[in-house]
Amino acid sequence: MTDTQEFETFMRNYQDMVFSTAMRLLANQAEAEDITQDVFLKAYERFGDLRESKTAGGWLKTVATNLSLNHLSRYRSRWSFFSDLLGKNREEGEEAEIEFPASDNVEENLARSERRELVEQALQALPTAQRVPLVLFHIEGLQYDEIAAKLGVSMGKVKTDIFRAREALRRKLRLTLGDEYLAGAV
Amino acid sequence: MNENENPLLEAAVDRELKALPILRAPQALLPRVMAVIERRAVSPWYRRAWQTWPLPLQVVSMLVLLAAFAGLCFGSWQLVHAPLVASATSEASGWFRMLNTALSTLGVLANALALAFRSLGPLVLFGIMMALLLGYATCVGFVTLYVRLVFARR
Repeated sequence: MTDTQEFETFMRNYQDMVFSTAMRLLANQAEAEDITQDVFLKAYERFGDLRESKTAGGWLKTVATNLSLNHLSRYRSRWSFFSDLLGKNREEGEEAEIEFPASDNVEENLARSERRELVEQALQALPTAQRVPLVLFHIEGLQYDEIAAKLGVSMGKVKTDIFRAREALRRKLRLTLGDEYLAGAV
Repeated sequence: MNENENPLLEAAVDRELKALPILRAPQALLPRVMAVIERRAVSPWYRRAWQTWPLPLQVVSMLVLLAAFAGLCFGSWQLVHAPLVASATSEASGWFRMLNTALSTLGVLANALALAFRSLGPLVLFGIMMALLLGYATCVGFVTLYVRLVFARR
């Protein structure tokens, strides 16, 4: 098997994971494709080391995350300003962007795959300042301090943005949290 | 409990997000990346990223860069101590002295103007501002009239 063929197999194995990481951080298919391409071009330059490496997946994920965050800070509005200046408006303004079934209990009415599709849509509709820390925390498994360091913001801001993001998802998806939460919320 | 913490909500969101499947990359992505790799492979070494250059070229380029840097440092040091540069520097400092004098004169004039304005009193200042505004409005009016008359005939 030639190097190129071997790299093709390598890319087939990891491209979905890399694309998912970029897509969930950027919420934009074209940008996520560009980032995925950049990640694999970097991987090709280091393919000699990565080919046999057991941590290749982790390396790819880290590079995908870092490139996506660089992309966000470089090519989009400075997102640290987002939640301070526009956060509330966007949070409220984007509520109506996705059409969810009017049913009170979404979980009962939707099949599992449809449910995931809705979660995906709701996630991608979140403002960047909320989506990014939320994805880093829940999907990438980073801690608050690690997220704050990566994004160059305070830990308090990270916690607030994640909390707002969870609240937005709760409203959009009508998450069932149990009686204890509902009692507290009233 | 912190106002930003809600364990039940956190657990529910965590459950929902962890259940999300991996998204499928578009089918066109692999051929696209391979095409870029092929294009880069056939391009000459000097058009590729430095990391991908052959090792001897990397070593040579590094040595050349180091030599250029050393040459630049040495050249700068020589230049600073050259008599021609010393005379040019003193000439330049003379220019800067003149500039400094001009700036301080302007500063004194500005201070004098500020003092004069302060001694005029608010009513006179208001009158001056109104006169300026009136003058501006008159100019705008005349220009508008002129434009209307000239272009109305065409």
